[in-house]
Amino acid sequence: MPHEATEPLAGLKVVANASGVAAAYAARMLATMGANVVLVEPEGGCPLRREPPFLPGEQGADGMSSLFAYLAAGMTSAVVEPEAAAGREALATMLASADVYIDDTPVAARASLGTDETALAAAFPDLVHASVLPFGATGPKAGWKGEDVVVQHAGGEGFLLPNGLALEMFPDRPPLKIAGHFGEMQGGIATALAILSALWARPRCGGQYADVSSQDANLAIGAFAVQRLGDGSIEHRLERSFRYGGVIPCADGHVELLTLEQRQWDGLVELLGRPEWACNPALADGLERSRRGPQINRRIREWAAARKVDEIVDAGQKLGVPLARYKSPAEILADPQECHRGLFQPVPIEGTGEVGMLVSPFHFDGRPLSIRSGPPALAAAETDSV
Amino acid sequence: MTPLCGIRIADFTVHNAGPFCTHLLSQLGAEVIKIESAMRPDAFRKPHPVYGRMGPATFDQVASTKLSVRINLKKREGTALAKRIVAVSDVAAESFRPGVMDRLGLGYGALKAARRDIVMLSVSSSGQSGPDSHFAGYAPLFGAWGGLGAMTGYADGPPIEIRHVMDHSVGMNAAVALMAALHRRRATGEGSHVDVAAREVASSLVGDLLLLAAAGGEPARIGNAHPRMAPHGVYPAKGEDRWLALAVADDPQWAALARLMGREDLVSDARYASEAARRARIPDLDSIVMAWTRTQEAEAAVLALQAAGIAAHISFTTPEIVADPHLRERGAIVEVAEPDGTPRAAVGVPMRLSKAPEIGIHRGTPELGEDEDHIYGELLGMTREQRRALEDAEVIY
Repeated sequence: MPHEATEPLAGLKVVANASGVAAAYAARMLATMGANVVLVEPEGGCPLRREPPFLPGEQGADGMSSLFAYLAAGMTSAVVEPEAAAGREALATMLASADVYIDDTPVAARASLGTDETALAAAFPDLVHASVLPFGATGPKAGWKGEDVVVQHAGGEGFLLPNGLALEMFPDRPPLKIAGHFGEMQGGIATALAILSALWARPRCGGQYADVSSQDANLAIGAFAVQRLGDGSIEHRLERSFRYGGVIPCADGHVELLTLEQRQWDGLVELLGRPEWACNPALADGLERSRRGPQINRRIREWAAARKVDEIVDAGQKLGVPLARYKSPAEILADPQECHRGLFQPVPIEGTGEVGMLVSPFHFDGRPLSIRSGPPALAAAETDSV
Repeated sequence: MTPLCGIRIADFTVHNAGPFCTHLLSQLGAEVIKIESAMRPDAFRKPHPVYGRMGPATFDQVASTKLSVRINLKKREGTALAKRIVAVSDVAAESFRPGVMDRLGLGYGALKAARRDIVMLSVSSSGQSGPDSHFAGYAPLFGAWGGLGAMTGYADGPPIEIRHVMDHSVGMNAAVALMAALHRRRATGEGSHVDVAAREVASSLVGDLLLLAAAGGEPARIGNAHPRMAPHGVYPAKGEDRWLALAVADDPQWAALARLMGREDLVSDARYASEAARRARIPDLDSIVMAWTRTQEAEAAVLALQAAGIAAHISFTTPEIVADPHLRERGAIVEVAEPDGTPRAAVGVPMRLSKAPEIGIHRGTPELGEDEDHIYGELLGMTREQRRALEDAEVIY
């Protein structure tokens, strides 16, 4: 795979001691932008290697963890047991030539390993040391455990989902998390931002310690709920549903419809074929539409139920109506837009072969990024890759 | 010293995703100049009746800590003035539909002519290239296009709209990409055009599931469940609409939970002894857990679960978030002042830096054009008369 020296972070050396998604995702973001990332693993391998679902392997066997393969692609692996003296020495050797250390070791366990904030700052004054934990490294909950579902609910958005159709169908069910590892990944993105910011300041002030919490990151992206509280309204998933539009079931799937502006509503009326109910002069007023939202939605759903998603989206786009198909993973993989953009790139994965992997949502100067290698095999012996 | 002190950003972004990016960078010390016009006021400067706000916002999260100048970009003199700001900036950020900046005469080529090593950030729904690049969109559409929407939801229900968190995650991603481009500029002296596609950000957040599909697997919606852990999910606590999230990561944690629930009998029950066994009986398992959680005050139950080594938290409401001592201590929730001095809570920058304790929101939402004395007067050296002439010509407008 081509790997150009002009990649934004070419030359940056990162050591990642990541047992969870947040730390690994931060390292992945840096790796896809050109950083050289060494993943430090215990002898049994990074726990993420054991997270299902697994890719299909040879002769029906399970292959590699899909999550691990996605997160660790482009990294090299080094087996280090930091609890042993030799391991601590190996880690210190790596950190001596590194720019960045990413760590998600529980904060209470760091001092005995010599990897707490004070020890690393003294030993490696130019190192950017990034800690990412579910609740951060300081504060009353610093020692708390948190998986993705936990940090999404601790950050506020968990309580506010679902909205719209799903909530109408299942009003009594527990609130819902966003899929996969969304909450932990936000912690990773915030960590990557902290690292690049601290590196920017390094010529002026040397290395420093960044303390990132996945809860904080989820709260940050959910900040509008706090803003609305200050404006006098408490958000709740029931009140937050769009009055009309939203997830609309069609004959062959679901479409998202959202008309926030008058011209978009006018386009929707055209799309619907100017039915009598939609041409009612009262509905020219946005506030009145909001009041009559449920009735409007009933009509839209009746209309959409007999039509195919593509038919609605194609006609709607021409009329300036914001519409999108709820795409399945298979549809995204085959989508001409994603193919044009080079979003997926064949990556070799041990036990499975070459598989198309999403590289990065960023282009620099009109070009997609690339991944330099597949996910690493577990290094055979201590410090193999150092 | 704030880490990004010295970086200046000409901020043309609108809506949520782009402004959240520059808001994050402003909290980290960048000087962000928000370029606006009375011709097209930003959403927060208008009423938002759907959310019960009948006038302009007195505080807007993503506009805080920014400076404001007025420029009417519909006028040629307006774009010339914008380029003068770009010429003294490190970054120009925008989030119009692809093509709009070019039509305004402010495309990457034009900005590069104004400043050779400018880093331009473009945030859009589908990216700057490709057959869908002209698509306009909002957060729920990004989630729908990108697969995050289809993967989220109850197993037997429809896909889910991903709301503002989608926009803001795009903004946080864009901040990372922008910083990477600045590092490259520092190393090579070259600027660049950074193109962030919101729908691709949505896809990147389910990249593991897309990889599974590419290898022939069929990922599906699983609600609050987890492919390995059980029990795992959101359970009702005592009281109306009161919930807690918990995740049992291994067998010892299951034993700890069973004891906490007063169900010593389950510790040795072979039906639940292993992860695989528990996953095969999720409905039974959830009923058992629910029977206990329903009788518990959420806060006490969460404290007990964490003390037993099990990941758990209350499904926090917004008032709880604002009052939480942990978030306050971390600066994740901060107090800001309204223009009349009334305090209110806001969300801080999601990190703590050992050598920059002062990062975060240090100023509220600027009035339209509030910082023109500084930007036009001090930075660009324009005289009062020059500014007045541009105001009369509705260029500074």
